[in-house]
Amino acid sequence: MSSITYLEAIRLAQRRALEEDPRVFIYGQDVGGFGGAFKATKNLAKEFPGRVLDAPISEDAMVGLAIGAAIEGMRPIVEMQFADFSTCGFNQIVNQAATLFYRTGTSCPLVIRLPSGGTPGGGPFHSQSMEALYAHYPGLVVMTPATVEDVYTMLLEAVALDDPVIFCEHKFLYYHLKADKLPEEALPFGKARIARPGRDVTVVAYSAMLHEALAAAEELSSDGYDIEVVDLRCVRPIDTDTILASVARTGRLLVLSEAWPWGGVAAEVIARVATEGFGLLDAPPQRLNARETPVPYHPALWGTHRPTASSVANSLRQLLEL
Amino acid sequence: MFPSPESLNLLPIIMPQLGESIAEATIVRAAFSVGDTVEADTDLIEVETNKAVMGVTVPCGGVLRELTATVGESYAVGAILGYLEVSDEDAERIGLHDAPPAPVEKPKKRQPVGSDTSKSSKKHVEPTVSGLPVPAHAGGASFLSPRMKARMAELGLHAADLAGVAGHGAGGRVTIDDLERFLQDLERNTISPASSMRVAVADAMRRSWTRPLATVVLPVQLDILLAHRKQQIVKAGPALYALRALAIALSEMPTTAGRLIGDRIIHPRSVDIGFAVEAEDGVLVPVIRHADQFPLTDLVERYNRLVELARARRLPGSDTGGSIATITNYGVFGLTMATPIPLPEQTLLLGMGAGKITPFWDVEKKAFVPVTEAQFTLSFDHRVLDGGAAGRLLQRVAQLLGTPETL
Repeated sequence: MSSITYLEAIRLAQRRALEEDPRVFIYGQDVGGFGGAFKATKNLAKEFPGRVLDAPISEDAMVGLAIGAAIEGMRPIVEMQFADFSTCGFNQIVNQAATLFYRTGTSCPLVIRLPSGGTPGGGPFHSQSMEALYAHYPGLVVMTPATVEDVYTMLLEAVALDDPVIFCEHKFLYYHLKADKLPEEALPFGKARIARPGRDVTVVAYSAMLHEALAAAEELSSDGYDIEVVDLRCVRPIDTDTILASVARTGRLLVLSEAWPWGGVAAEVIARVATEGFGLLDAPPQRLNARETPVPYHPALWGTHRPTASSVANSLRQLLEL
Repeated sequence: MFPSPESLNLLPIIMPQLGESIAEATIVRAAFSVGDTVEADTDLIEVETNKAVMGVTVPCGGVLRELTATVGESYAVGAILGYLEVSDEDAERIGLHDAPPAPVEKPKKRQPVGSDTSKSSKKHVEPTVSGLPVPAHAGGASFLSPRMKARMAELGLHAADLAGVAGHGAGGRVTIDDLERFLQDLERNTISPASSMRVAVADAMRRSWTRPLATVVLPVQLDILLAHRKQQIVKAGPALYALRALAIALSEMPTTAGRLIGDRIIHPRSVDIGFAVEAEDGVLVPVIRHADQFPLTDLVERYNRLVELARARRLPGSDTGGSIATITNYGVFGLTMATPIPLPEQTLLLGMGAGKITPFWDVEKKAFVPVTEAQFTLSFDHRVLDGGAAGRLLQRVAQLLGTPETL
């Protein structure tokens, strides 16, 4: 069986969406003949003529057009070349798309794909994790799939949703992550997944950080610790119930995020556990984020900037001794 | 050939508990080298905490065989810093080869299995330092995590219930795992429910014990009092004499019965005095209201009725609570002296020991004469009054008991 990468799963999901729903079209810079900056739309323009459209270099215009199309009943998928560039379309996303249904009762079935997170040599403008920024806004759904299976089923789910979805796909996983086949079934929308059961500490992670968490959990298992790993899958809505149930089992919490700590997803998870599950905690909840500088260009610096399996393992050992 | 380690009497040199809040200390200097002969209680290794520089000693002399600790590194309390070879006699005396107390469960399920222990051994703290009667970390219950508090509330436990639990958390704190293990271990004992009376007394005593309590003692001669009692038709018990004497003394110096709340002294509203009555599995405290305003003879009937009601556990709410001091006659148990604990809402507790005939030097007769004497104690909240004030109050009570006709 040929293996399918995370990136191929994104392409196959878009292909299936185009195939199954005539309202779907793809819009973005170089998504047509070129097949997208990362080839996520490779050959789709040929296969679906007139439905995979090149956009001018204006994220503002791209999102604005897509919102208009969504109002008129279409289901656009917008590709940002890099998540970092979505800030140029920020006004359209947070002021127009996010508030449309609230203001007018007209839904805005729009998917914006953000190739997110760092890769070695990505540097400050091509590495950012923007999920917390968009998750701040009521009206937006923010998905952060961590596996090949999830990136496939969740992208289809995003297209099917009537709300605007910020789809944060992780560039570091594009080629590394592989699966034998694509799933036919998925967890319900907005539901977190227990990626690894355990009873000593709960690690909440999402996107690429899931894999660092799993590697750290594996490392600590040789020391006799059972680390439970929760994959959030979707950061807004956030599955507080699954998180609290896990902390109820373990009494200890570490939240991982590749984004900066300030006002981030990790902070939000800890705030929810502290307010709704204070009596479950046997130690102060901890978080591990990227360091508070722009994302460094040099691969060696980048490797120490974001949480890694070994820094996660260190944090876990400290938390276990509190 | 070197002898195997088991055949040697190797005494581990252990990082001692250096203070209540100290979890680890840094090695400053080793005063001896491997091979040196050292004596008992000599400072072998100098360690530094954030508070002071201190020495690590061993309970007996021997030859320093190994130093595993590195200068400049920090080690947790209980960590092994090196080994001392000691004589057979010393090994026997300090119980070196005695098996450590069997742990309840697997002692450390998290101990690395077959992995390199050197990197983590320093961080793992054994809860008991060998030879100490109490776990060195038993004080760890001072910090209770939210989960601990929630679980304890669920089970109706108090911090005092965990006093003997050795913690495995940071600074020796008791974690939820320690608590659950402790609870599991209890199940091996015979368990019976405590009566509601027992629970109520326990609750009152625990709350009272949060204060700095002290006791002063005074021998009191009772001959005049006993003679007076003999002449009465309706006889008051010695405790009622003491109650009445305390009531008069407190009406003269009411602030001694005041309560300290924040930075204010709360004065008593009226001189209501309680007295302890043993009832079933605990103690009840009926109250004589305005005990300063009625002569002794008027109080006898009330007193006797309250004793009966208390013993029958039928004391009405109006006859208990709100008193400013209590009398307890532990002399009825044959006890001569005790340091009882005042009720949590009271500052004073007057205790009466058993009277006994004692030789007393009579200055006028220039001879020992037999007198009936009892030790009277006044236990008090030291935040409110000091030994001097407590002593003056007790002296005044003794003086009044010497003139029973005025009571």
